[in-house]
Amino acid sequence: MAEVVLGIETSCDETSAAVLVGDGDRPELASLVILSQDIHAVFGGVVPELASRAHLRALDPVVQSALEQAGVPLDAVDAIAVTEGPGLIGALIVGVCYAKALADALHIPVIGVHHLEGHLFAPALENPDLEPPFVALLVSGGHTLLLDVPAWGRYRLLGETRDDAAGEAFDKVATLLGLGYPGGPEIERLAESGTDRFAFPRPMLHAGCDFSFSGLKTAVLYAVRASDDIARDRPDLAASFQEAVIDVLVQKTARAVESTGRRSVILGGGVACNRTLAKRLARHLAGTAHVTVARPRLNLDNAAMIARAGWFHLQRGERSDRTLEASATLPLPGIEPDPAASTPVTRSS
Amino acid sequence: MTLTLALDTATEIGSVAVGDGHLVLAEMSFGGRRHAAALLPAVHDVLDVVGATLDDLTTVVVADGPGSFTGLRIGWATVQGLVRARDSIRVATAPSLLGAAWVGSQFSSGPVAALYDALRGEVYGAVYQLDADRLEVVLRPTLGTVADLVEQSPVRPVLAVGDGAGVNRSAIEAWTGRAPLLPPVGSARAGALLALADLEGALRDIPDPTSCEPDYGRAAEAQVRWERQHGRPLPGSTGHAR
Repeated sequence: MAEVVLGIETSCDETSAAVLVGDGDRPELASLVILSQDIHAVFGGVVPELASRAHLRALDPVVQSALEQAGVPLDAVDAIAVTEGPGLIGALIVGVCYAKALADALHIPVIGVHHLEGHLFAPALENPDLEPPFVALLVSGGHTLLLDVPAWGRYRLLGETRDDAAGEAFDKVATLLGLGYPGGPEIERLAESGTDRFAFPRPMLHAGCDFSFSGLKTAVLYAVRASDDIARDRPDLAASFQEAVIDVLVQKTARAVESTGRRSVILGGGVACNRTLAKRLARHLAGTAHVTVARPRLNLDNAAMIARAGWFHLQRGERSDRTLEASATLPLPGIEPDPAASTPVTRSS
Repeated sequence: MTLTLALDTATEIGSVAVGDGHLVLAEMSFGGRRHAAALLPAVHDVLDVVGATLDDLTTVVVADGPGSFTGLRIGWATVQGLVRARDSIRVATAPSLLGAAWVGSQFSSGPVAALYDALRGEVYGAVYQLDADRLEVVLRPTLGTVADLVEQSPVRPVLAVGDGAGVNRSAIEAWTGRAPLLPPVGSARAGALLALADLEGALRDIPDPTSCEPDYGRAAEAQVRWERQHGRPLPGSTGHAR
């Protein structure tokens, strides 16, 4: 079993490296470095080619920094875990090629990790006692899905978005409201001074565990166009939009808990940094299920969660070989068919 | 023996070679737009041929752009990973176009134009005069139409190579007076980078390969549009730590 695992994450616009140290199934986080690319802010969204170029410039210095902060020399690393997908293909390729070559030259194993499985493992970094079974709500700029997790490495898809991811909707609505990128923190901050008076739709609220946010986004667009004083309405628009998204996420999660009978819920992904969502979910499920949310730094795209998921697979003796390649649309490993589900079991990023 | 590994992933045909100085000992190519999967196994294949391992390498030569953005990053990220573990390895680079021109020089005497298709009606092009013991850069790698190259080149090449010559065949034939040498023969080869090793000015050392990047030959399209719209360079940023 590996005792030191280096994690690498380059799936979108964060260049990240982390070091896990320990043995058995309770590794400790020795360091985590996340470099967020600022260059995309002027575009209001991630530009894949610019992200790929920035990763190539930043990755090795970020890895060096993570090793230094952990006090671990490179030759003490026992294995490397790297995000192999899903994500931006050009960005993923930088991390995968670097990780493969480094592992090869060090004569140590490399393991490709699914980005979403990393998000699933993120809370386990802070809560080593955390064990399945649980329901997981993963919400980010690229994903919105509900999973039933009977055991680590075994996943059953309960529902997913049919169009925009929740985080994507936050970013697009932020742009409509003339706010900065990324939109989630901006909308949450603005919503604090607004009221939910626009009565935006709660798409698919009473139908299964799938999500849809594109209609909600369009409703905000119409409200913005109809506003005769956008400066006055902006906080209320932000509050109304956020309430609609949270209502949907909370109700769907409650339905997933009810249908599975699980007593534990994991909230993960970048949107899990939204404190209002975390509080509402915990309050709604109080007495039914315990909600675990990692701290914001571990909910953003980061290499610690990749190292932790990689640790799990390495412990099971799994390895990737030299032909490991990045995949923009990698299916979640370990997914089990759900006879009751009407949705496909894999999805694109 | 000073074992050198060369990588060229700048075009659709990727290749690796291992050699002693400028002597190519083993070489192999791969295609199918799966360079990221094929590159590292190919490195081991050529090392196996000469009974060597990564531990035996003293120098790595990686092809520079212009060329495929993703292809270039596959090569450069791989080199970054290798030299992080083996910091005694010397890293050098040369334009992939120069390697393609060297291939052309094996078929003809005189200046050779190397052209890669840059899409949107443009090519990445350069013109070199390659003799047995001398390299002259007639026209440095540039982006433009074939007409731009014809105008900028002070000499008329005797041969053109590369896929950019193929998509502009009639203009190339009018320029050089003969049919271009097309891929797979008329393309860059990692072995060419090794063959060029002794020519003064062919290779450029990279003192700090772990945070460098290739010459892409063209800015990202979003950056071009932004700068056109705002009339100033895109603000540079190294990002912020979280």
